[in-house]
Amino acid sequence: MIRSTGLADRAVDFAMALVEAPINAVERLIGKRRMPYLFLAPNLVLFGIFTFLPIAIAVGYAFTGGTELLISNRPFVGLDNFRKLLSCADYLTPGSCGESLFWTAIWNTLWFVGFNVVATLLVALITALILNRAIAARGFFRAMFFYPVLLSPVVIGLIWKWFLDRNGLLNAFLQMLGVPPEIFLLDVGWSRFFVVVVSVWFHMGFYTLILLAGLQAIPKDLYEAAAIDAATPSRTLFRITLPLLGPNLLVVLILLMIRSVQIFDEAWVLTNGGGPGTANTFLVQYIYQTAFAGDLRLFGLAAAASVLMGLVLLVLTLAQLRLGKKVES
Amino acid sequence: MGDLKLTKLNKSFGAVAALNDVNLEIDNGEFVVFVGPSGCGKSTLLRIIAGLEDITSGSIAIGGRNVGALSPAERKIAMVFQSYALYPHMSVRKNLAFGLENLKFKRAEIEARIAEAARMLAIEPYLDRKPRQLSGGQRQRVAIGRAIVREPAIFLFDEPLSNLDAALRVQTRAEITKLHRQMKTTMIYVTHDQVEAMTMADKIVVLRAGRIEQVGTPLELFEHPRNLFVAGFLGSPRMNILRGKVVIGDDHSVFVDVGYPALLRTAADPASVSAGQEVLAGVRPAHFALTDGEGLPFEVQYHESLGTETYVYGNFQGQAEQVIVHQPGHFAPTPGAVLKIMPEEGRLHVFDPANELALARRSEPREELR
Repeated sequence: MIRSTGLADRAVDFAMALVEAPINAVERLIGKRRMPYLFLAPNLVLFGIFTFLPIAIAVGYAFTGGTELLISNRPFVGLDNFRKLLSCADYLTPGSCGESLFWTAIWNTLWFVGFNVVATLLVALITALILNRAIAARGFFRAMFFYPVLLSPVVIGLIWKWFLDRNGLLNAFLQMLGVPPEIFLLDVGWSRFFVVVVSVWFHMGFYTLILLAGLQAIPKDLYEAAAIDAATPSRTLFRITLPLLGPNLLVVLILLMIRSVQIFDEAWVLTNGGGPGTANTFLVQYIYQTAFAGDLRLFGLAAAASVLMGLVLLVLTLAQLRLGKKVES
Repeated sequence: MGDLKLTKLNKSFGAVAALNDVNLEIDNGEFVVFVGPSGCGKSTLLRIIAGLEDITSGSIAIGGRNVGALSPAERKIAMVFQSYALYPHMSVRKNLAFGLENLKFKRAEIEARIAEAARMLAIEPYLDRKPRQLSGGQRQRVAIGRAIVREPAIFLFDEPLSNLDAALRVQTRAEITKLHRQMKTTMIYVTHDQVEAMTMADKIVVLRAGRIEQVGTPLELFEHPRNLFVAGFLGSPRMNILRGKVVIGDDHSVFVDVGYPALLRTAADPASVSAGQEVLAGVRPAHFALTDGEGLPFEVQYHESLGTETYVYGNFQGQAEQVIVHQPGHFAPTPGAVLKIMPEEGRLHVFDPANELALARRSEPREELR
């Protein structure tokens, strides 16, 4: 027994003495090797109920048809839902597909992911590089760039909608400059552009924080050695900073990709449900509409789409983790 | 080439003065050691020479060229960092090549210089390894190699041995000295370790609180410290300091009375002192000799025997301050015993307690030191 003097220490000792006997008894009962699982059990139970069970249920629904909610009332249809989703004369032309909205959503999502990942990564990296310098009011700027992360996606969507509306702030500003107003959210190009802008603005603070932590972990004397070694700022960035930031960049890339594929709430609010037309209808919105918002509640089809999306995310994550190991070694 | 001149150099961090009116000249090819306690400004001074810190005022010239406004890369210096600062993601070869690539050297020249440095430092087997796969000593060599390939006019070392274990430190110390003899390039070396300073330097610069206290060869500083600080800083264990009063002898010799019948003969210039003046007398532990005749009564407390030498700790009778006496060989006085000791001829240092400066010496040659 550890000797201790403080009141807090004595309280800990007392608590330890209380649990020691029952823990020893349990250990005798189930054996030392099973003890870790006992301690993991509470977490595993919660994880099971709120994560693994829903996954299992979704997979189950994906093989059933009809519009009934209870799985016991739903007919088993085998791979029909998947067939419907994947049957396409030409995958590049959503109109030729059995489920054209699904493919519209997939292509929209892919484009969004591409632009959003590149834009967010660049903006977050540049912001982190600037915030890592000894600039004035650094703490204030760090807080300011992180602040949007704390907001709710719906709030973000609404704020930007006001900003971009026909009578919004941006048009008022443009008019002041003599530029004719533009109905940004009703134009396919502009609305897609601003969905990316809003997403970057919303999430960049989080990624900036991760990159900033990585930058600060790079020893200062490496930069001094590089200065003595006559490295130009750009060579220092590409040969010292970025390679040493590699692990953080990889984490950011994985998180960013996964979260980009999941784009839904802020875009849904901003674009009034994926408009104009289906220009901003993304995969998660398709799943949501198919299951809950349409005249027919096609739970099976939505579940199948979810399973497909889950598989894509899984493959992406594994590929990037493998890449990460290669980068490190 | 590799000569350096610092003139009226000042550096402050905000309101804190780190360096105060530093003037220093270093000749081409010298091995100069900056030494002093933590916070004395020695690393700041080195970093200023490197160009990693700006100066507040003053000038700094390398090879006769004012480099105050030049970037580190333009100063023809190379630096070995305390942490080595090797690029962790590059192989040893790439670490060595990086600076030369930045300077747009030809591939063949880069390869040749790397091969030469690797041979000199015996790091050829590790060229394709990453720094983390190397031991501390090997990393140290790579860091030195990175400096060598640049062929700088001045090498700067910032406490390069402090992360090595004791045995390796002694070995690397010798290797750096050897390197200097081979390359004959100016080297400036910062350390807080007086043994490194004494063993490696052509010239030692002792710093305290941002000021240069004394510049000289190791032996000059050891034998003629300019003030109490230098006297105490160099030499281990520290110099013993006794309070006393000046007595002028019949032959105009200056003696110090430290409160015992035995007077201590000094080499001080009688013109610079007056009888009765208070002084501080300094004697290094190794410069006390046992005597059968007249001597100071040294009461033994305990001793540390190192086999080849012995340190005896005690005090003068009736005084509280600890005094250390060094004796060669094994020597085991009983605690409580009173020994008669006297400073060896010419080994007494005398300081003015008011300004802590050493008193002026008589100009006659002092044979006893030869």
